[in-house]
Amino acid sequence: MKKLLANPLVLIGAFIIISILLLALIAPLIAPYDPEAIDVKAILLAPSSMHWMGTDGLGRDVFSRMLYGARISLMVGFVAVGIATAIGIFLGAIAGYYRGWVDTVIMRSVDVMLSIPTFFLILAVIAFLTPSIWNIMIVIGLTSWMGVTRLVRAEFLSLRNREFVLAAQTLGAKDARLIFTHLLPNSLTPIIVSSILGIASAVLVESGLSFLGLGVQAPQASWGNILTDGKEYIQFAWWLSLFPGLAILITVLGYNLLGDGLRDAFNPRSSQL
Amino acid sequence: MTFQDSLCKLLSAFLLCFVIAGCSDSTSSSTVNQKDFNKIYPPANGGTMIDAMTGEPSGLIAMIAGESAASAIASNIFNSLLKYDRNLDLTGELAESWEISKDKKTITFHLKPGLKWADNQSLTSEDVLFTWQKVTDENTRTPYGSDFKLVVKAETPDPSTFKVTYDAPYAPALDTWAGLHILPKHLLKDQDINTTAFSRKPVGSHYYQLVSWKNGQYLKLTRNPNATQGQARIDSLLSRIIPDKAAQFLELSADNIDSMGLNPIQYARIFPARPELNKNIALYKELGNNYTYLGFNLKRKPFDDIRVRQAINYAIDKQEIIDGVLLGLGEPVASPYKPGTRWSNPALKSYPYDPAKAKALLKDAGFIDSNGDGILEKDGKPFAFEILTNQNKEREMTGVLIQRRLREIGIDANIRVLEWASFLGRFIKPKEFDVVVLGWSLSLDPDQYSIWHSSQQAPGQFNFISYSNPRVDKLLEAGRLELDPDKRMKIYHEFSKILLEDSPIVYLSAGYGLSAIHKRVQGISNPAPPAGIGYNTYEWYIPKVYARHEINEQ
Repeated sequence: MKKLLANPLVLIGAFIIISILLLALIAPLIAPYDPEAIDVKAILLAPSSMHWMGTDGLGRDVFSRMLYGARISLMVGFVAVGIATAIGIFLGAIAGYYRGWVDTVIMRSVDVMLSIPTFFLILAVIAFLTPSIWNIMIVIGLTSWMGVTRLVRAEFLSLRNREFVLAAQTLGAKDARLIFTHLLPNSLTPIIVSSILGIASAVLVESGLSFLGLGVQAPQASWGNILTDGKEYIQFAWWLSLFPGLAILITVLGYNLLGDGLRDAFNPRSSQL
Repeated sequence: MTFQDSLCKLLSAFLLCFVIAGCSDSTSSSTVNQKDFNKIYPPANGGTMIDAMTGEPSGLIAMIAGESAASAIASNIFNSLLKYDRNLDLTGELAESWEISKDKKTITFHLKPGLKWADNQSLTSEDVLFTWQKVTDENTRTPYGSDFKLVVKAETPDPSTFKVTYDAPYAPALDTWAGLHILPKHLLKDQDINTTAFSRKPVGSHYYQLVSWKNGQYLKLTRNPNATQGQARIDSLLSRIIPDKAAQFLELSADNIDSMGLNPIQYARIFPARPELNKNIALYKELGNNYTYLGFNLKRKPFDDIRVRQAINYAIDKQEIIDGVLLGLGEPVASPYKPGTRWSNPALKSYPYDPAKAKALLKDAGFIDSNGDGILEKDGKPFAFEILTNQNKEREMTGVLIQRRLREIGIDANIRVLEWASFLGRFIKPKEFDVVVLGWSLSLDPDQYSIWHSSQQAPGQFNFISYSNPRVDKLLEAGRLELDPDKRMKIYHEFSKILLEDSPIVYLSAGYGLSAIHKRVQGISNPAPPAGIGYNTYEWYIPKVYARHEINEQ
């Protein structure tokens, strides 16, 4: 823990993530305008004291939309990664614990999934479903569990024959007890690190999908679709591209810093003590 | 990722942002000429006008090429039998006059005397017959053949007479002859029209002839000394190929092109903010021949109820859409015709924004908010539906504005934006939609049989909203048979009136076509006549004092 706090990257990352989470949480309290309130008399106003980040093509306040967009972007990140991690732990645990043909089947399907470019797979699936925030979270989750599966399996393989596991088994512990109380708790660290890094990429995927018009649908705001709106006016209304672009950049950076820092801190090989 | 990595990425992202943000200011310094272009001089011959187009033509035989870039250039090179004048009335171009037989099935065109191709050969009715044969030939790869295949007999009784006979009277016929470029038989008779080199070295009869074509760069046209319609004033036209609209705008600001089409933001926001541009460049706006609408799937409940359709029509604030989406650069429409043309019924007014009336109509139709959640219900089901549109920023914004207005009267509408191919294939063709926001582009002929006639509802046909009204069917049939323009006008005015009452679609707006033309080009009609500013480009001129000294062809 001491080492964690001594690492400035983790602190910066954590600070960024916590601030954005807080901003998203209290968005209704601090947003100066209704994010969906249209004002055709205030179209594309530059940032000012009235509208801190200007207004968009329908006169909506960009700052308010950014705050509400943060909720969407973060929620997509958490839920999608939650789904991916749950699937990953389940499959990885089975593969690593039972080995044999179960392992072969699961790991080959991981290979198959990894051989398909994820973003295009998501694009194809979304094109057949109604694009909505829930579908997006589910689809991102269902297409990004492979890393966690490999990770959990590798941990299980290395823990499977350790003395404490063999001891528990000798004492008559059932498979479920071994998996959930002995093996899993000891593999949590890499899972947490990979989940945090996974959130960063889920935020990016959501922004990408919304940018392509397949993500969060109008009039709901997400950073990706604010960015798309900005594309039309980039020569004239820079604020529509700059702020969501920066927000995505900073958030993803925050998660990456935090994830990298945690990994370094928890990695016994990097230990100086 | 290390900290240095992250920092580097962060910094470069910042730099990129500033470069992008800085772009908008970097162009103003390059305005070359401090001449005052506001003085009007008498018409004179000479000069070069440079315009820009986003795409390069695939060839200059318009019926084969099919794209707008090709017809834009080709219409300076080739003539048609007829043309539309400034008021969008048909008049002769190669034809001096035309007659329609008593049974209304035969049209006889009399060509003007002494017509010549640019290579000095005579242009005769043989050329017209040859063009008709080509456009209807099964081996010709053209999408424009179907109208001409209705001609059962085409004859050339003498070199200046061309006679076509139809199976039944077909009123849009004259319009189709105004759109067919007449091609020279003597140069094309032994050629495969789909692949001929002629399409890159065309010989025509109109004001200009092609002198050079540099791939990916420009096409240059100069005056045709044999032009059938007299001499144009401007010596040469240079069309530069600049695929990106933003790059075109920079070239316009730097005085490297004389004209381009603008979007509402450039027209209404960037120009007013840049006085140095206004000094040299004049802006023009004219109504385009298209409109945006909200269409109901009339096969689905509750849109089969006229009260519901009218209620939604009253609930939508059209002016708000024009102000918000088109930045005021559009007009409300009340008929499926371009406002100001003879086919548009001037007595019709679009439904005013009247939410109270909308609510009353919905109540009448049985929609009441029985559970107090702000959404109306009928038979226990909330009034909710999906507004579909394609990936078009303006239509999407229109959808958002409509959604809000409908929410105010208690209708819960969702918006769904789709990519064009899946929009057509999965929703429009199988009629799997509630409501769509779309646009119609119209031809100059008023015949809209394919859009509104009840027989045109098969998958893939244009009446995908399933509109069916026997009175409208009768009028549309009569309009196709009536060749007298005044009687036709009455038919289509009546048709528009019924359509407005029935409200199978809600007319939203007709946007202006916006263009910027350098003030060195004079003689442009402003405000634009019904046919648009381009109807008399041959009368445009560049006074000698304003002509460019050297043309930068790069």
